[in-house]
Amino acid sequence: MRRTWRQRFLTTTILGAGLFGLAASPAFAQRNPERNAYFGQTHQHTSWSLDAYIIGNTLAGPEDAYKYAIGQPIRHPAGYMIKIGRPLDFEGVTDHSEYAGMMSLANDPSSPISKLPIAQKLKAKTQQEINKVFQYLAASIAKQQPIKELTDPKVAGTVWQQNNAIADKYNKPGKFTTFCAYEWTSMPNNQNMHRNVFFKDCAKVPVAPFSALDSDKAEDLWAWMNDQRKAGNEVLAISHNANLSNGLMFPVDVDGKGRPIDSAWARERLANEPLTEIKQVKGTSETHPDLSPNDEFANFEIMNYLIGIDNSSAKLIGGYARQAYLDGLAMQDARGYNPYKFGFVGAGDSHNTAANFTQSNYFGDHGLMDATPQSRLAGRIESGMNILETGTSGLGGVWAEENTRASIFEAMQRKETFGTSGVRIKVRLFGGWEYQPEMLKQKDWVKVAYAGGVPMGGDLPAVKGKAPSFIVQAVKDPEDGNLDRIQIVKGWTKNGQTFEKIYDVAWSGGRKIDPATGKLPPVGNTVDILNATYKNTIGAVELKQVWTDPDFDPALQAVYYARVLQIPTPRWSTYDAKKLGVLPPSNVASTIQERAWTSPIWYTPSETARATASRGLTVAELKQRGAMALDEAQLKEFALGKTLKVRNTVTGKNFDILYGADGRRVVTEVADKAPSAAQSFEVMHNGVTGSTATYIIRDGQLVTTIDKTPFAVTVYKLDDKYFGARSNEFGYVNYEVEEPKIAN
Amino acid sequence: MDRSTRGTAERSDSVSDATLVTQPSIVRRLANEPLLHFLVVGLILFVVYDRLHPDLEAKSESNRIVLTPADFEQLGVTWLAQGRAPPTPAEMQSLIELKVREEVLYREALALGLDKNDTIVKRRLAQKMEFLAEGASIDSDPSTDMLRAWFKDNPQRFSLPPRVSFRHVYFSPDQHGERSREAAAKAMEQLAGRPGDFQDAAALGDPFMDRDYYGDRSAEDMAKLFGSNFAREVAGLKPGRWHGPIESGYGWHLVFIDTSVPSRVPDFEEIEPEIKAEWIEDQRAQAKRKAYETMRARYQVVTPERAKN
Repeated sequence: MRRTWRQRFLTTTILGAGLFGLAASPAFAQRNPERNAYFGQTHQHTSWSLDAYIIGNTLAGPEDAYKYAIGQPIRHPAGYMIKIGRPLDFEGVTDHSEYAGMMSLANDPSSPISKLPIAQKLKAKTQQEINKVFQYLAASIAKQQPIKELTDPKVAGTVWQQNNAIADKYNKPGKFTTFCAYEWTSMPNNQNMHRNVFFKDCAKVPVAPFSALDSDKAEDLWAWMNDQRKAGNEVLAISHNANLSNGLMFPVDVDGKGRPIDSAWARERLANEPLTEIKQVKGTSETHPDLSPNDEFANFEIMNYLIGIDNSSAKLIGGYARQAYLDGLAMQDARGYNPYKFGFVGAGDSHNTAANFTQSNYFGDHGLMDATPQSRLAGRIESGMNILETGTSGLGGVWAEENTRASIFEAMQRKETFGTSGVRIKVRLFGGWEYQPEMLKQKDWVKVAYAGGVPMGGDLPAVKGKAPSFIVQAVKDPEDGNLDRIQIVKGWTKNGQTFEKIYDVAWSGGRKIDPATGKLPPVGNTVDILNATYKNTIGAVELKQVWTDPDFDPALQAVYYARVLQIPTPRWSTYDAKKLGVLPPSNVASTIQERAWTSPIWYTPSETARATASRGLTVAELKQRGAMALDEAQLKEFALGKTLKVRNTVTGKNFDILYGADGRRVVTEVADKAPSAAQSFEVMHNGVTGSTATYIIRDGQLVTTIDKTPFAVTVYKLDDKYFGARSNEFGYVNYEVEEPKIAN
Repeated sequence: MDRSTRGTAERSDSVSDATLVTQPSIVRRLANEPLLHFLVVGLILFVVYDRLHPDLEAKSESNRIVLTPADFEQLGVTWLAQGRAPPTPAEMQSLIELKVREEVLYREALALGLDKNDTIVKRRLAQKMEFLAEGASIDSDPSTDMLRAWFKDNPQRFSLPPRVSFRHVYFSPDQHGERSREAAAKAMEQLAGRPGDFQDAAALGDPFMDRDYYGDRSAEDMAKLFGSNFAREVAGLKPGRWHGPIESGYGWHLVFIDTSVPSRVPDFEEIEPEIKAEWIEDQRAQAKRKAYETMRARYQVVTPERAKN
């Protein structure tokens, strides 16, 4: 009873506060139910981040970051003035918590904890004093009144609290939104597992953030975030640089603590990490050319190293968003949960207090290391980072009713977001079952789109037709290149195997898809590399389309997201070369096709629909029928030095694999032909290029290692038939293997 | 450990009963309260640590790292202040070890003089000094008269940007290609002399992907929407007639300004809270500057030239 009363009381108070808030601020009460695109920065370091400080950013703190974001000029660490071209709509400064955290407090003579009056109250030596302290604390807990001294953001002296006070100072609802935020800097063995933590409301943030010194396990961060949420403090995390995580960011088998991934883990991840950065100054995490060899636009601002280690490289598998989406579908299908239903933002990670979003006006990201065109083009590699490969800040886009903390945070939570490579392309995607092409002619098509489906970040509603249709619209950045095309990237899964296909759905000019290749011809190129100029004489201002999936199978899990490409424009390195009067560096692209990515829309078949699919054989079923796995000796006898004729029962493709006596395995034939570069990756080891790889026979498995990730095949014998099951196909047996012949 | 925790919780119950008689059910909840657990765990650990490390006494004064119950509490409070479950004894132990480790390395580093001539240490200390200077006490409650006078001297800090309300007709390069401007100029012939709400205006152009009418926009708003060139041009237009063609980042436009509000400085009463905030900001900046000047005055800087003299 009492609890109910309390809840009611709280509700009334909150409602009252809400009404008061609205009454006090009529100026920005222009909520747009069809939502506006707001652009912002969710990843910004200042001199308060210790690493930024070390590389020369010693003066400009969070206050300067917000000043820069709203259009005031500030000083670059190298001393020159910088000003943003167009102000941002929102920003959260995300200095490393390991500065504001426990360790630095303990280190700091002006430590707030020791100076807080509350600390005096908590000091107790005798039993009697302990009882008193207890009484004091107990009363506060019983009344559910947090001890203000511990939570009051105004308590002076700590970096974290000052950070939050500054965020509050610059938060102007309706004009510019700031967030209380920080970066959790987990980097086990130089593998980037960082997350930016965003709080919905600065009034409720904890006295200190949960830092990587507390734990470098994401699972512990989530547990802490759950506690925050229980205490009424809404919070979310944005992961970044999956590309530099060495494959740790998106695991499928084992979590950060070495435990098998399960539905509870998936739930935690979904609840706490709705977003990831798809592009930032240290590269793109959408996909890698080796993971998506059929995607001719996959080679975009790729970086591959381990932060802090020269001449290092990171594993690809587990480090890219697109593959995580595909794996998530397969996990949903085989295990009943999908931890990887996250959306996109683009962001910066500049350590200069200011980030630069345009190629033509680039001023570096890392203090004094890349402050001048000379230093950027010198070909320097700093702590493993190739400066030439770094780039402009990505940009986060949200579709929100108004420019306020609540509205933008909620958009982030529901993943109605998009990421760009830095340009202000506005893109939106809706999915439904009854969208008609004519509706785009209506002025109010957005309203119809919301009414008839879901915006990006959502799940398709229950099936109501043969195939889902998607509305996608992109509008160019008014101060940058025109648009080349919109693509829909589709992923799906069958029997533990995953597939991707890219559809060109809207494009500029009168181009036609080549029937031979199925590809849309390139948009052209107006870039004058020597003069670092381009012309908007090609490309479109706006592209939009209602697209229906022509290959839809209602029985299979699927995911869809849109990618928008600009026409080619000069890359920052080309502009720098022009400034110096030298040729652009030859080891990075001289032009760039800037782009935007929407958060996906997912399709999950109903149980009835799933039942109609032709289910593959599983290892469990095979064993039940009496199949035996070949042991080590049998496997050697079976495969070593032999060419195996293999049929992928999911795709129906046949191929030959030679397991050479020299420890290398080569795909020699696909469907009676020599394999193309694109095909060679698809067989037995879906997802990685190179038909040649090393393998060993170990523990009764053929273990092939590609790009540092091992894939194991177990061969089963049932009667006189052989079957292969791959370790990353979620318990399915997808390969029929013919009795091998001796290789020549 | 479990038993002791429970024992203390029971002892504490009697205290709670005295103060919280109206909510007896809460007492049981309190037995599970993190803060209590922490206090108990901390105390026990202190005792245990003390027993396990009696040899500390034997060490020389400079090699002694003394941890008081207050230190333990501080570690625990910091931990709990982060909103986490109370530290387990093992976690508490590792917190202590971290603190000790840091202290040991710190002292060893000092002994070796590693703090001298270290740029990072120097910068860090300088930064701390900046923080201290910022926190210098300033008057946060100025009189209205004082604010008024300051506002009169600094009006430019509060000037509002000019704003316009306008409608436009759009000509898209997606439709007209390189002849977009031409199409707009042709339509202008029909629009010249017409009112802003001329019925057929929209039909002369192409559908625009956003609005056809924008109310009360600053140049900055327009730059975000249309690009800065358009914003600059439109900001200078006279209201009451059609203008154009004007180029934006999307193509060409014919523009009718409904109203144009020039830049102005608001009245004191309109923005008194902002003036106060700005004044405090200014005081803080000045205090910081003065504090630095005072410090700076105590130093003589010798440059190579002077050194020769």
